[in-house]
Order: sequence, then structure tokens, then C-alpha cells
Amino acid sequence: MIGLERLLEAFADAGVEFIVIGGIAARAHGSARITQDVDVVYARSDMNIGRLVSALAPFTPYVRGAPPGLPFAWSIATVTAGLNFTLTTTIGDIDLLGEVAGGGRYEDLVAHSVSLDAFGHPTLVVGLAWLIHLKRAAGRPKDFEVIAELEALQEEIALLSTPRSRPDAADRPPTRSRRARA
Amino acid sequence: MRELATVASVVREARKRAGLSQRALAERARTAQSVIGRIEAGLSSPSIETLARVLDAAGFELKVELSPKARPDPVIEAYKHDVDRTLLRANLGKSVDERLRVNVEMLLFGNELRRAMRIAEQAE
Repeated sequence: MIGLERLLEAFADAGVEFIVIGGIAARAHGSARITQDVDVVYARSDMNIGRLVSALAPFTPYVRGAPPGLPFAWSIATVTAGLNFTLTTTIGDIDLLGEVAGGGRYEDLVAHSVSLDAFGHPTLVVGLAWLIHLKRAAGRPKDFEVIAELEALQEEIALLSTPRSRPDAADRPPTRSRRARA
Repeated sequence: MRELATVASVVREARKRAGLSQRALAERARTAQSVIGRIEAGLSSPSIETLARVLDAAGFELKVELSPKARPDPVIEAYKHDVDRTLLRANLGKSVDERLRVNVEMLLFGNELRRAMRIAEQAE
């Protein structure tokens, strides 16, 4: 999505409850893969659906890949009647998910998410371990490479978090007194 | 060591969500700020009781569960050999904003390339 910053700003301004998953979540954690669209899991409460519809309306969402002229209205009624939407907007493609395989709904995923500061907005992003879990649950062969990269990322983060062990005394350069004795 | 890193990130996340500084959390948990700092830095491994007390002070409940150890998937392990870890390490040195901005820049670059190719095809 080209307008990721504008999207996050619009969601933050409207107070939309959402969690970023998918490729953008992977990028936020440190993945090197480039991703085209944004996947978000949104809360299905009436209030949040209202906020979501208002926040996205200026970007004229439309069903992605559908021929023009369909009787698609971006409205509270549409979102309430549906669950998952693959949309194209003036700022890029976005997948709005009311529920995700292996992760459930917004309320289920919150506990497995972390708050990251993205473009000045505290943004809930699914944690790396759960991102891997979701990719596994999707069960798509195309995700094998993605899972491998995310697991490698997990290993690199664990290495960074490991406190540097103090070198063994035998590995340390000799002090002046030790050199003197030698 | 991965458990230590997880404990560190859990405590940091709980504190951030509660909107507390290390000092404020320490006061609520009746401990010293240095204790919280060392846990978050992954330099100390608190007991379950201490961890529960710290998380409770941030408004969270500690739940411990047993789950079978995940066995490495040979297919994923095979793919892992091809992962360029230098890119991952470089990304880990960047801020979240920088990581996301590179994604946008690469998409724009891709769009520009496609536009240039269309023009070239029309000119032929």
C-alpha cells in the first residue's frame, strides 16, 4: 500500500480498533519482503464498524478485482452484513478481516499483539510468534518461504536479546600483573 | 536464552500498555526500578512469583500453560537455508517507520518500472 501512513493516520484519528497482520506486520517486525497490500483484523462492534466506515470513506473503497459499476456501497450496512473484504482504495489495497484462520477475531488476537509506534501512532501489530502461527494456519504452499524468513527473523531477534556473556577469564587478555608474572 | 527474551518483551509490553515508566511500575510492584530495567534488558530471569507481581502491578494476570514442544518442520528448515539474514539484521537496526517506508518506496519504484515498460512497449 502506497498510502500506509495516511491509512494509519485516518484509523488513529477515527479511533478504529484494528490489528495489523500479514506482510506489513512482517515488515514492521523486520522482514525484508515487500508487500503490496495491508491486512488488518478489525473489531466487529457496531461502534468500531461505524468508525472504520468513516475512516475509509474518503479513500473510496471498492471491491478489488471486480468490474466497475457494481452496486457496492461502502457503508455500515455493507460491513455489518459481511465479514472479510478485499478492497482497493485511492491509497492502495487493503484487506479488512473480521476473522482470520487460526487467529479468530480482534478480541482473540489482542492478547497476541504488540503496540508499535508507526508514523507517530501507537499501532497494534500481531506479535511475530503469532504471525508465524497465522501463516502456518493458512496452510498455503506460497507461505513456506515467508514462514522460513519469519523464523529466521525470530532467531536473529533472540540473538540480539541474548546478553553478551562475559568472556571466560582464560580468553581475556592478560592484565599487567598477569603479564608481569608470566 | 529465548525464554529470557520473551520475559523481557512481555514485561516491556505490559508496562507500555499500562502507560507506566519503569520507575512507576517498580513502585507499584514494590521493587526497585533497576529490577524492572534488568528484566526488560534480558539481564535477569525473575521467578514466576516476581513476574506475576510485576505483571499484576501493570494490570495483567500471568498465565502459565504447558504445550508440546514444536518440532522443526523439515520443509521450512530447508527454505531457511536460502534466507538472506544480512537483510534481516540490517532491518533490525532500523526503526519501524524506516522499515515501512522502504516498503512504500519499493512499491513506488515497482510502479514506475511498470509504467516505463508500458511506454517502451507502446513505442515499439
